[in-house]
Amino acid sequence: MKWLASGLLCSALLTSGLTLAKDYTISVVAGGSSDADSYRTEAIAMAADILMREAAVAGESLNIKVEQRSYNNWDDFKQAVTLAAESGKAPNIVVTGHEDIAAWAQSGLIVPIEDYISLDSWPVNNIYPNLLNIASYNNRVYGLPQDAEARPFFAWKDHLAKLGYSAADIDAFPDKIATGEYTLYDMLNDAKKAQDMGLVEPGYGFYPRVSNGPDYWQFYTSFGGQLQDPQSHRLVFDQEAARKTYQFFIDAVKMGVTRKNHIGTPWDQWYAEVAHGKAMFWHGGTWHYARYTGKEGLTDFFGNIQFSLIPAGDRSGKANTLTHPLVYLLTDQKNDDVQEIAAKLIQIASEPRINTLHAIKSSHLGITKEQLNIPLYANNRWAMEATERLLPYASAMPNDTDFGNFWNIYWKGLEAAWTGQKTAEQAVKEAVTELRATMANSVIIR
Amino acid sequence: MRSAKLPFVILSILSVPLALMYLYLLIDTFTISEPGSLMPRGFTLEHWRFLWQDLPGRANIWQVTLNTIIFATITTTLVLLLSSSAAYALSRLNIPGRRILLGGAMVLHAFPSVTLLIAIFLILQYVGLYDTIAGVVIIKASLELPLGIWILKGFYDTVPWEIEMAAIQDGASRFYTWRKIVLPQIKPALAALAIFSFLASWSEYILPQVLAPGNHAQVLSVYLAGLIADDSHFDMALFKSVGLFYVLPVFALFLIFQKQLMNMYGGGTKG
Amino acid sequence: MNKSTSLGPFMLSPALLFVTLFFLLPVVMTAVFSFTTMSTATGITGGRYQISPASLRVLAGDYQLPELARQLGQQRYHIDDSGLNILREEQENTELVDEIQQKLSGQSFTQRRDLERALRQLNHRPRNVRKIKEIAEAFQHTVGSEPFDSADALLKAIQDSGVTLTESEQQAVIKSSYTGWHWSLENYRRMVSLPDTATALFNTLIYVLFTLMLFNLGFALCLALMTHYLPPRSGAFFRGLWLLPRISPPVLYVLLWKWVAWDTGFLSALLANFDVAPRNWMLNSATNAWVFIILINGFVGASMGMLIFSSAIKAIPQTQFWASDVDGASRWQQIRYIILPQLRWPILFITCYQTLSLLASFDLILLATDGGPGGTTEVWSLKAYHTALNNYAGNLQYGYGAALAMVLVVMGLVLSLLYLRVFKFDRLVSKPRIEI
Repeated sequence: MKWLASGLLCSALLTSGLTLAKDYTISVVAGGSSDADSYRTEAIAMAADILMREAAVAGESLNIKVEQRSYNNWDDFKQAVTLAAESGKAPNIVVTGHEDIAAWAQSGLIVPIEDYISLDSWPVNNIYPNLLNIASYNNRVYGLPQDAEARPFFAWKDHLAKLGYSAADIDAFPDKIATGEYTLYDMLNDAKKAQDMGLVEPGYGFYPRVSNGPDYWQFYTSFGGQLQDPQSHRLVFDQEAARKTYQFFIDAVKMGVTRKNHIGTPWDQWYAEVAHGKAMFWHGGTWHYARYTGKEGLTDFFGNIQFSLIPAGDRSGKANTLTHPLVYLLTDQKNDDVQEIAAKLIQIASEPRINTLHAIKSSHLGITKEQLNIPLYANNRWAMEATERLLPYASAMPNDTDFGNFWNIYWKGLEAAWTGQKTAEQAVKEAVTELRATMANSVIIR
Repeated sequence: MRSAKLPFVILSILSVPLALMYLYLLIDTFTISEPGSLMPRGFTLEHWRFLWQDLPGRANIWQVTLNTIIFATITTTLVLLLSSSAAYALSRLNIPGRRILLGGAMVLHAFPSVTLLIAIFLILQYVGLYDTIAGVVIIKASLELPLGIWILKGFYDTVPWEIEMAAIQDGASRFYTWRKIVLPQIKPALAALAIFSFLASWSEYILPQVLAPGNHAQVLSVYLAGLIADDSHFDMALFKSVGLFYVLPVFALFLIFQKQLMNMYGGGTKG
Repeated sequence: MNKSTSLGPFMLSPALLFVTLFFLLPVVMTAVFSFTTMSTATGITGGRYQISPASLRVLAGDYQLPELARQLGQQRYHIDDSGLNILREEQENTELVDEIQQKLSGQSFTQRRDLERALRQLNHRPRNVRKIKEIAEAFQHTVGSEPFDSADALLKAIQDSGVTLTESEQQAVIKSSYTGWHWSLENYRRMVSLPDTATALFNTLIYVLFTLMLFNLGFALCLALMTHYLPPRSGAFFRGLWLLPRISPPVLYVLLWKWVAWDTGFLSALLANFDVAPRNWMLNSATNAWVFIILINGFVGASMGMLIFSSAIKAIPQTQFWASDVDGASRWQQIRYIILPQLRWPILFITCYQTLSLLASFDLILLATDGGPGGTTEVWSLKAYHTALNNYAGNLQYGYGAALAMVLVVMGLVLSLLYLRVFKFDRLVSKPRIEI
C-alpha cells in the first residue's frame, strides 16, 4: 500500500504544477480607430474571457487581464508603436494596416503567428485565403486579418437622374463600370455636365478623398498600372500608368470638376458634404456607410447613393477596388508563453461571430466565409452587397520594406501634378529620378 | 508728450483679431451657438462635462492634469537647481575652459533641439526612461539649461562683489556665501526663471508626444492634441473648454508675474 | 585658493552632466546616424542574418549570383535517420519518434506547413503547435528563412545544408542577408540629388524671410513705437495683449487660429454676410496656407522684438525727445532721427537670433497645416521630423531624417558662431573679479 500512497503523492505533486494560477497581462493597441471600431480591441477582451473559461473547464487556472488602447490617427500610433517596440515595451498585440508587416518583420519587431497557432485550426482555416496572403511576408503568415474592406466609387442617384439616366440605367450603372464600358473620363464629362446644370457647385463634380491614402493606388490600377511583379515580387513603377493617373487629376482640375487645392480639406466637412448630395461623384471606403447613416444622418442610403468599383481609366486598365485589411500582429516579447496566449486570443477574436460584431458596427467586411451565415451579417444589406459587388475585384498593396518610400514618391508626384506645380510628364520624370536614388534595385521601372 | 490718439486707434485695429480670438475662447466654452453664427444663444455648462466624466476613449482629465503639474514643477525645480549653481560658477569662479563653456551655452541656446529627437529617444531607451514622465522631465530640463545658465549668469554679474568679499573675509566659506548671501540677491531673477521654465514645460507638446505616448504619462498638451485629431468627434466648443482649462494656470501666472516675465522674454528665448 | 578651484567644477558638474548626456550626446549621435541606412526595418541596435526573398533578390541582382540564390531559396524537409536521431536525443516522447519513423520515413516536403500537417495526423502528436514546429525543424535540410543571430551561424547552416561557398560568395551571402543597418553616404547623396530638397529649402526661405521681416522685425517695431507714444497704462495693456500668443501653449494657440479659419469658423461666418461661400480658409490654397503660417508664427514672434525694442527706446534719455519737440520736429522725424539710429544693435540682435529660432521651429506648422496642402508649407525642420518619425508603411527613416537634421545642426552652429563674433563675445565673458 505504501507504494500506492507515494505514487499518489508523486502524481499529486506533478499535476499540482498545472493547477497553479497563471497571470497574464495582454495589451492590445489599435491605430486609426474611432468609436465605431471599438471591437478591434474589445474582441481581444472577449477572447480572453472565453480562453479563461476554456482553461477553467480543462481544470487549469488562468488569469488574463487585457489592456486596450485605441489611437484615432495613424501617424501618432505608428510612431508610438515603433518606438515602444524598439525599446522593448511594445504592446502584445497591435492592430494596424498590413503594409507595416514587411518592415516590422524584417527588424524582428513582430513574430509570425503561425509559429503559435495552426493554420489548419478553426477559424483560421475559414479565413479568405487572399486575406491570409495579405497578412504574410517571406512565406510566413505574420498576422490574422482583423477586417476586410473595399473602397467603392459613389454617385448621387438624384443627380444621375437629372442628367437623364433612367432608373434602369442607374441600376445598371455598377455593371457598366465593372465591364469597363463607363470610364473615368466618362465620369469627368458627367461631372462637368452636372456642374453646368447647377446640380453641384464648381469643384464638386468629382470629389475625391481629401488626404493621401491607399485609395490613390486604385487610379493607378485603373490606368493599367501594376504594383508588384508576380515573378520576382519586386515593386513595379509603370511610368505610362503613372503618367495617365497624374494626367487624369490634372484634367479633372482643368475641367473645373475637382478643386486644385482639394487635398487638405477637413474630413468632417467632406463627410458632411458627400452625405448630403453636395457632390456628384466621389470615392471612399465601405466603412463610410456607418458614417453617412450615423453621424451625418443620411437615412436612406440605398435610395440616394449608387456604389460600384472604381471605373477603368482607359482600355489598358480595368475597373477595380482596393482592400486594405487591418491585421492583428503579434509583437516579439522575448517570452514564448506570453506570445502563445496572445496568439490564441487573436485566434478566438477572429471567430465569425465575434468578428461580425466589428464588421457590422464599423461597416467593414467579414474575414471568414462563415460570416455570410451569421444572421447579423447576412441580414445587413450593406455588408452583403458590398461583399458581393466589390470584394472579388479587390487588390491589395504589396508587403515590401521599400513600399513606404515608394508610396511617398508616387504620392508626391501626384500631388505636384494635381496642384499644378508640374506637368504629368515632369512629375513622372522626377518620381523616376527619386525612385532610382532611393531604392535602386528593388524596384522595376517600366 | 503729444496726443496719443492716432497710435491708439491704429493699435486697437491691429489688435482686433487677437482680442477676438481670446474673447471667443472664453465665450464659446459657456454658451450654445449655431454653427456658423457668431451670436451665442444661451448659457450652458455642457462643454465642461470632461471635468466630471471621462470623454470616450480618453484618459481621465485629472490624472492628466496631475501629470502635467508633476512634469512642469519637477522640470522647473531641476532647471533652477542646476542653473543657479552652474551660473554662479561661471560668473564668479575661475574654471578651466570657462570661455568655451559660456560660448557653448550661447550656441546651444540657439540650437534646433527638436531635430535631435531620434537620438534623444535612443538615450532615454538606453537608460530605461522612454515613455515615462521622468524621461521627458530630464530632456526638457536639459534643453532649458543653457538658457537658464546664461540668464542667471547675467544677474550674478550685476551683484556687487564687495558683498561676497566682506563675507569671505569674515571667514565664511565660498559655498556658504553663495547660498546665504548671493542667492537672495538674485531672487527676482530666480522667480522669473522659475515662472518661465514652468510655462515652457506646461506648453511643451512635441517632447511628451514623441517620448511619452503612453496613457499613464499623458500631459494636457498631448491630451488636447489627441482630442483635436479625432475627426469623428468634432466639437469646437469642447476643444476650447479643454483648451481654456489647460491655459488657465498660464494666464494666472502671467497676470501675477507679468513684470518678471517681460524681463525674461526680453532677455531672449526661442520663438 | 584650493577650495575655489575645486568648488567651481563641483558646482558646474551637475548641469554639465545633464547638458552633455541629453543635449550634446544626441548631437553627436545624430551626426553618426546620418551616415547610416537606419530605419525601422533595419532596427537601431543591429540586425540578424536571414535568407529572405528580398535578400535573394539582392544576391541574384547586385552580386550576380542567381544560381546560388536559387539554391539557397529552396526549402526541403526530408524525414531521415539523422533527423530521427536528433529527435531521440531531445524528445522524451519515444512513441512519437517511432511513429514518425514508421509512417513518414523517406518522405520529403517543400513547405514546413505540409510536414506539420502530416505530423498532426499522427496518433502520438503533441498538443502544442510550438512543439510540432520544433519537431519539423529537425528534418530541415536547407537554410530556410529563419533569422540567425550571427553570420557564423548562418554560414554553418548553409554548410549543413550541403552548399559549399567560396570566400567571395560567403561575403556576398553575409552582406545580402544582413537585416541591420550599414554605414553609407547614401543619405547625403540622396539629399543632393532629390528635387524636393530644393523645395523644402525654398519653403524654409519663404517662411523665415517673411515671418522675420514682416513680424519679428517690422510689426515688432510698429508695436514698440506705438506703445511708446501711448500713456504708460494703455501701453502696458497692449504689450500684455501681444504677449498672449507667446505664453499660450502651441496646441491651444493653433486651435484658436483653426477656429478663425475653419469652414464653420469665424471668417466663414463673418463673410457669409457678404455671400462668400464657407470654406477652410487655412488650407484651401497654397497662398492662404502660407499667409496663415506666417501670421501664426508672426503673432508669436513679434512679442519678443516688441519687448526688446521697447526697453531700448526707454533707455533713450527723455531730454532728446524734449529737445526735438521744442525744435518742432514731427513724430515721424523723431522716429527717424532719434529712435531708429539707437535701435541699430537691438535690430541686429533680433535678426540674428530669430533667424535661428525660426529655422529650427516647426511645432506651430505641424499643428496648423502639417506641411499641407500638398507639402507646400513643409519647411526643412518639419521635413526632418516627418522623415524620421512618420511613414506610411511603418518604416521610419531614422538615417535620412538624421541627415536632414544634421544640415540644420550645422546651419545652427555656423550662424550662432557668426553671431557670437558680431556681438563681441569677449565682452560677455570677461574674467571673474574675485579670485581668492
